[in-house]
Amino acid sequence: MRGRLSAPARRLGRRLLCIGALVLAACDSGGFKGVSIDPPRDMPAFEFMQAAGSTYSTKPEAGRPMVLFFGYTHCPDVCPTTLADWKRVRAQLGAKADRVRYVFVSVDPDRDTPAVAERYARQYDASFVGVSGDGPTTAKIMEAFGVAAARDETPSANGYMVSHSSQVFLVNDQGRLVALYPFGTTWEALAADLDRIL
Amino acid sequence: MRSLQHIGPAQVRAVAFITLLTGIIGCTIQDRASGDATTDTAAAPSAAPVAAETIHGITVRDAWARIADSAATGGAYITLVNGNSTPVEIVGAASASADAVEIHETSHHDGMAHMSARPSIVIAPGDSLVMAPGGLHVMLIGLHSALKAGDRVPLVVQLATGDLVPLTIPVRVP
Repeated sequence: MRGRLSAPARRLGRRLLCIGALVLAACDSGGFKGVSIDPPRDMPAFEFMQAAGSTYSTKPEAGRPMVLFFGYTHCPDVCPTTLADWKRVRAQLGAKADRVRYVFVSVDPDRDTPAVAERYARQYDASFVGVSGDGPTTAKIMEAFGVAAARDETPSANGYMVSHSSQVFLVNDQGRLVALYPFGTTWEALAADLDRIL
Repeated sequence: MRSLQHIGPAQVRAVAFITLLTGIIGCTIQDRASGDATTDTAAAPSAAPVAAETIHGITVRDAWARIADSAATGGAYITLVNGNSTPVEIVGAASASADAVEIHETSHHDGMAHMSARPSIVIAPGDSLVMAPGGLHVMLIGLHSALKAGDRVPLVVQLATGDLVPLTIPVRVP
């Protein structure tokens, strides 16, 4: 698999470079404790089928910023750590917490059904939304956010492991990407930024 | 696996470039405290901490497991202190509560989280093996039942000598 430069992969590379350039232009200009994206970047909306037959859309909702993380449910470390951090963010925000949309997006739809993704997110907090789209939807939202994922070759009883981008994205209530938080950023930084824009 | 973006060397370089930019920029990112486990567990409204216990000269501290669904993959973290005068080699782990147990290490580069199995870890005399979120961790694969806060999960750490270090680990709310 490695070394194969598929067209989607090339597009992904360009997207990542684009985000990198945005980040470079952004430093310290947005007032965020995370890495500011300035100017904020309009993000397309995506729709995901949910287990109950309804759809979940990432289209903006007035007064409700959205945090997104891309992972997979067989992930025992980074993904739960991020969701556990979100739980702390919720507690820190108090009464404001319900206005934030917390969205976990699976990059492993082959194994993660919508129901599995929903359960995985909800076990941390009932307000957390877990979605797993079909292959094309997953590829499109990953490309839009500049997220990469690849199966690891390491043999494991887990089936396979997935390397994946590990930052949290903050999209404001206008649907614009305004900041990102590389793994290792404290949850307090995300809580402070959310508190400021809520 | 068509649904994943397969990344080749060029893509890795692209991501590395972005990571480099991010690193250069620095901005006002607040790094986690060096002890992720401390950060992660400190805020947990958890069960009482497990008292350190010493078996085969190895003292076990700060053992905890995450909540997880039945049949899912769970995560656990332990700290092992080698109090022996000789190195100790950890060669695996097992649990009656999971189909398989593996020790893995998350590494972070190119803006991505990678996992790699650690089938053997040597702890020098007097040194500690510290597992923490975002780093070394125990994977509980194929859990036989859901792990809920307040549960206790059995875990046996296997040494190269054939000795076993049996533990019972509390499950904590994240």
